[in-house]
Amino acid sequence: MNQRFVLHLNVADFAVAVERASDTSLRQKPVIIAPLQAARAAVYDMSEEAYRDGVRKGMLLTRATRICRGARVLPPRFDMYRRAMGKCVAEARGYTPLLEYGSEDGHLYLDITGTHRLFGAAPDIGWRLRKRIRGKLDIDPIWSLAGNKLVSKIGSRLVKPVGEYIVADGEEQRFLAPLSLSLLTELSSAERQRLAEFNIARIGQLAALSRTQLFSVFGLRAETLYDLSRGVDGSVVGPEQAAAPRVEREHIFSDDTADRAVLQAVVDTLAAELGMELRATGKAARRVGLQLHYTDGSAVARQASVRIGVCDDRALQNMARLALQRGLMRRTRVRSCRLIGDRLHRRSTQLSLFDGAAVDTRREKLLSAMDAVRRRFGQNAIRTGSQALLN
Amino acid sequence: MTRKEMTPRPGIVPVGDSTRKTPCIVMTGTSGYSYLEWVDSGFYPTGTRTAEMLSVYGRSFSVVELNYTWYQMARSDALTRMLAAAPANLLFAAKLTRTVTHERDEDWRNQVQRYRQGISALGKRLVAVLVQLPPDFTRTIANRQFLAELLDCMQPLPTAVEFRHVSWAVDSVFKELERRRVTLVSVDEPDLKGLFPALDVVTNPSLFYVRFHGRNRQGWKHGNMQKKFDYDYSNAELQQWCEQELNTLAGRTERGVIFFNNHVRAQAPRNALLLESLIRNRMGRERP
Repeated sequence: MNQRFVLHLNVADFAVAVERASDTSLRQKPVIIAPLQAARAAVYDMSEEAYRDGVRKGMLLTRATRICRGARVLPPRFDMYRRAMGKCVAEARGYTPLLEYGSEDGHLYLDITGTHRLFGAAPDIGWRLRKRIRGKLDIDPIWSLAGNKLVSKIGSRLVKPVGEYIVADGEEQRFLAPLSLSLLTELSSAERQRLAEFNIARIGQLAALSRTQLFSVFGLRAETLYDLSRGVDGSVVGPEQAAAPRVEREHIFSDDTADRAVLQAVVDTLAAELGMELRATGKAARRVGLQLHYTDGSAVARQASVRIGVCDDRALQNMARLALQRGLMRRTRVRSCRLIGDRLHRRSTQLSLFDGAAVDTRREKLLSAMDAVRRRFGQNAIRTGSQALLN
Repeated sequence: MTRKEMTPRPGIVPVGDSTRKTPCIVMTGTSGYSYLEWVDSGFYPTGTRTAEMLSVYGRSFSVVELNYTWYQMARSDALTRMLAAAPANLLFAAKLTRTVTHERDEDWRNQVQRYRQGISALGKRLVAVLVQLPPDFTRTIANRQFLAELLDCMQPLPTAVEFRHVSWAVDSVFKELERRRVTLVSVDEPDLKGLFPALDVVTNPSLFYVRFHGRNRQGWKHGNMQKKFDYDYSNAELQQWCEQELNTLAGRTERGVIFFNNHVRAQAPRNALLLESLIRNRMGRERP
């Protein structure tokens, strides 16, 4: 097998790093990112200083501010984090098309195998990319270089919050041996528990077990564990895929609400907006997804789908309401909701042979007229009764 | 010189004349050895992995400059493992890490200590620590104070300093390096305004240190290393260097290392081997 070079870039505490880049007064100070107005808000992210004081992700904000009294608490700005992540990706794209990344988590894998003739030695790419991101975005990522994703990710975890790590070819097993099993995130909690029962705490101890020994305890997972403990990982850095086409709308409540009627009215409005965009582009959606962001920082996503795509407001509203019904399981107030229509296809123009055709035509004419009014006088110029609550 | 040192080893040529009791031991090598491009270019056999490169490299050379210690802080465990896989004849020069020279912060003194601990694994096989200073490191009072403190921190390690800015090419700097027995690196690079010039000044009688960066004028200012260090020295250029510089450097020192940094398409090892053969021929001609 050809030798691979996988670079892992990780911006530690990504949300805090982005906030600090936009406000330098936050540097060297403990920072906590959490929704501010919620009664039981949870910590979304925190700086290294706050982490050292004991603040953790998901911790109640009231507790976090008690144990880290000097912390600046900021509300999350997801759009800004997404934009910053997009800029990091754009820089990385200059070196390879083989990229894998999250939407706003600060993790980025690059497969730079075979780029040496263009850009030189692999460590130099890591260093240059870091330098560019630092220069352009004022964010200082960790970079780690190894022969696969597994080892490069563990390398960057070792040097967090700043630094770099290069694991040389053939060094993988020796590099992993003294490290804690907790760094192998691919292990399930049940597997971890089982290994703890055998008093196995280090990766090297796991690597000392034979395939047969592992099979007797872990069955079919034995081979995977055997490879992981030796730093063998054949998973590819995904070729970057173009985002699937989708339409989406978001509503942020000025006052967080748990009122179902209000939520339904908002969802109906968002569905009508999606419908208008779909009709304008001659498309139909087979799936509608709803993301609810609660006031305490948690989020839930639910969806509803149909076999044949729709662009009619009423059909989209029915799907959106179903997704809302599925997602609204808590009494906590909702801060924002985002409605996404995807699995798009072109609208069929084939005429129906049967009676429903006349009704469909009338409905289409009505929607077309409503669209014309909205285009001219604004989205709120004409509404259905269910949206009246928004007044 | 001991008898062991006299046995022929790759990349080593004794340079001297009848006026000297012991010749200067001149070693040629390259800046870095771990380049997949060198497999494509035929210096390493097809299919050579990076883990195998050092042992193959050792068949042609007896000294190598470690580049990766600039990118990453030297760690003794990693260097110990590298030594275990390296040929016994191979000696090392190691670049000082960038967090001391190029991206310095207030913590740099601790970084130097960590670096020293890291490279301690090289022991007597360490020829020198290369302190390469960036082009914007000009001869200001603050920078002079920093350099003086850095060289104090490096003691008693063998140290070589490479300046990139012309402002350091003054006698007072050479005298101070001489007083400290620190080697001034002689560079061969494009003749561009502001760059430190090619000089044959010897500041340390124990060691001379030469770096051939290539003379690619267009590529030098380019951010891409593949352009900056893309240069193939001709036979005539290296011959001329031997005639003009080598005797001065070797005549005043006990040992010298010459590294080629023009790594693109394996030009560095080819040029290093060519220079070695030129020096060998020259010594053959001069021998009575």
